[in-house]
Amino acid sequence: MLKYPKARVLGVLLAISAATPVIANDEGKALFGQCRACHAIGPDAKTQYGPVLNGVMNRAAMVEEGYSYSDAFKKASEGGLTWDNDTMAAFLAAPMSYISGTKMAYPGVKSDEDIQHIINYLSLFDEHGNQAGLVAETSQERPDEDPKERMLAANFVLPDHGVFHLGRKALNEEVAAWDIDVRPDGTGLPVGSGDALTGMDLYDAQCASCHGDFGEGTGRWPILAGGHDTLTEERPEKTIGSYWPYLSTVFDYVRRAMPFGNARSLSDDDVYAITAYLLYLNDEVDEEFELTSENFTSIALPNEANFIADNRTDEPNRQINVNELCMTDCIATPVEVTQRALVLDVTPDE
Amino acid sequence: MKKPKDTIDSSRRRQLIKTGMAVTGGISASLVVASKANAATPDPLITEIQDWNRYLGDGVDARPYGLPSKFETDAVRRDVAWLTADPKASVNFTPLHKLDGIITPNGLCFERHHGGVAEIAPSSHRLMINGLVNNPLVFTMEDLMRFPRENHLYFLECAANTGMEWRGAQLNGCQFTHGMVHNVMYSGVKLKHVLAEAGLKGNAKWLLPEGADASHMTRSIPIEKGLDDCLIVTHMNGEALRPEQGYPLRLVVPGWEGNMWVKWLRRIEVGDKPWHHREETSKYTDLLEDGTARRFTWEMEVKSVITNPSPQAPINHGRGQTVLTGIAWSGYGRVKRVDVSIDGGRNWTTARLDPHSFSKSLHRFYFDFDWDGRELFLQSRAIDEFGHVQPTKNQLRAARGVNSIYHNNSIQTWHVKNDGVVENVEVS
Ligand code: HEC
Ligand code: HEC
Repeated sequence: MLKYPKARVLGVLLAISAATPVIANDEGKALFGQCRACHAIGPDAKTQYGPVLNGVMNRAAMVEEGYSYSDAFKKASEGGLTWDNDTMAAFLAAPMSYISGTKMAYPGVKSDEDIQHIINYLSLFDEHGNQAGLVAETSQERPDEDPKERMLAANFVLPDHGVFHLGRKALNEEVAAWDIDVRPDGTGLPVGSGDALTGMDLYDAQCASCHGDFGEGTGRWPILAGGHDTLTEERPEKTIGSYWPYLSTVFDYVRRAMPFGNARSLSDDDVYAITAYLLYLNDEVDEEFELTSENFTSIALPNEANFIADNRTDEPNRQINVNELCMTDCIATPVEVTQRALVLDVTPDE
Repeated sequence: MKKPKDTIDSSRRRQLIKTGMAVTGGISASLVVASKANAATPDPLITEIQDWNRYLGDGVDARPYGLPSKFETDAVRRDVAWLTADPKASVNFTPLHKLDGIITPNGLCFERHHGGVAEIAPSSHRLMINGLVNNPLVFTMEDLMRFPRENHLYFLECAANTGMEWRGAQLNGCQFTHGMVHNVMYSGVKLKHVLAEAGLKGNAKWLLPEGADASHMTRSIPIEKGLDDCLIVTHMNGEALRPEQGYPLRLVVPGWEGNMWVKWLRRIEVGDKPWHHREETSKYTDLLEDGTARRFTWEMEVKSVITNPSPQAPINHGRGQTVLTGIAWSGYGRVKRVDVSIDGGRNWTTARLDPHSFSKSLHRFYFDFDWDGRELFLQSRAIDEFGHVQPTKNQLRAARGVNSIYHNNSIQTWHVKNDGVVENVEVS
């Protein structure tokens, strides 16, 4: 059985027929809901964004071994910070001013009463996350069941995860079916391979009609190859070879979105072969080249180093002082039209 | 019901001809007649009994879902056919010049798709949370409706809004120059509640939302933003999301590039590094003059535009009392002030800001003035609560060149000629 078969969650009463008396101290549990975005507590608690809070009360600060606390926290702990009722209450009221520089980006709990409820709740758990006299039992989810029937069944127990106990555990097959994303470091690449020549046949049959025989793009369909050294020219041509920073993006995008109108139809080996061919069209490899899950991360694209972080805040136009904004006679010369939209005449007719 | 309608229409046509007004110009001509200072002849709209004064209109059973008046033919989204190869991976634009206030009606919110509009039955939709979480979870729409709900008004601007204007004045109408923005009251749940349900692991730093449509849209979002103000929403302006806005589930990323607001949201992966997917490398990176490109330029900077008068909304009434209005917004917070110039930036007056001011929402400004009939060069300049000032086109080009495509928040100029016709121009 679950700890709280009938739980009161943020004032919402989940009416379930298998009724058992409501257990007290639900306030503390409900209030702790706002902490669960970052903290876990209980026998199965695992490190989240914040440390596990098992047995935190009446102990020296930094309870979770191995958690990487901020320097601010380390300093406070070295200074002898211990969590008793008073220190915890002061901390929870305003974490960021109590320990200035803490990673706990949380404004604080408003009411003293709520703080006491939370502290009482924290005090329930020993360092293993167990509560006196309560034994946890895990529930088995059966996703193919009719949810209504399941909930009305006499032996229904709420799932044990999270705050609201909503949703169900994802099955491995389900995660595998959707989680196809690939990162520059190769995370997410499926095992497989394909060579440029095989890729050429696939490309000619399934991609060339839009992207052109050589990746030059037919009509207004996107260009995929060429454009080397055009990024500083008046009309830059941004292609995989001239612009894209990472090869993983090509693999990931083709696998998730192409061919346009028939997404997810290519096999993993097809995607390796087409990616190899796109490298060939961009003069990065020769036609013998075979791309594999093994050699994938050894291929770097030429423009990778030219991507920089957002530094818009350094621009002169971001340093304008509002109080010095000109309001009258700001420009000495009379107005002169330097460009007109009507000359271009590219606006669609009404 | 069908028959009387025919007679109404033909009798109305007779009446219009009788009163000497061309059928096509009927509406605007009557407006002009009514607004003349002295009428030579009595206005037949007043002296004669009109059809709608006599005959009955539609009953309550005629329009189960109400639509705008049939006379509002101009209040429609428009696209620019030459921009893209296929309308299923394209964009259309909000008719800003037809709107007032700060809410964008659902049917007029601009659309941007990469694989057409997915039509998904709520019962067939799932949201998965996986990656660096303690419990990978799957939610149905019913599950998601049981999280605590909130309402927030936010603008959504495509990072490419005004992108066609970098090199100079190009498109003649604020719908086309600035229409990739809308402002909607969203209802839904805080993303952090849904993430907490799965339990974030200690090394969780990035989120990858993914759409269920044929483009499987993905973007990398830092976890701090996800835990701050991001929402997972089911409703817009009170009703269920429109299909073209991601029905049944959309991610809301307040103040940041519209592309990140993944529609038809079906999965959020939690990771420790960004993914560098197509929409944050090939697209939505800002190429500078020296050949380097900025990436992860998420915030939409402070911006404004005058929506009336504008090329699609000329001044038809001649000189005298004139209402100038427009919208202003900032991805950082509230707009605090909007200045207006009618002489191409020589002199500025602070406009009247409508008091409905919300963080990361459109703001409405008005400037009422007495037009003397001379040509005007209209500009607006927004300032947000953090002191960010909307730059001029030249200031922005000096910093970025003209090949950035995205994040053009510069000051727009409209040229009003003596006859009230308006054109998109650039001035010295
Ligand atoms: C936005 C995430 C976040 C939220 C929400 C949050 N915390 Fe924290 N918390 C942290 C982080 C991160 C730390 C580690 C602080 C550091 O290293 O600077 C922390 C540290 C703590 C500590 C110190 C633990 C120790 O080992 O000494 C306590 C106690 C604590 N939090 C309690 C709470 C409570 C109670 C709530 C809810 C009212 C809460 N936190 C909400 C992120 C959060
Ligand atoms: C029916 C036309 C069509 C076909 C066929 C097609 N694509 Fe595309 N492709 C597009 C469109 C349209 C886009 C842009 C989609 C968007 O805007 O989101 C695109 C985008 C791309 C991009 C990204 C371009 C960029 O600059 O960001 C790549 C890479 C790509 N396609 C590869 C392929 C491959 C490989 C195939 C064959 C397996 C293929 N495409 C088949 C129409 C097509």
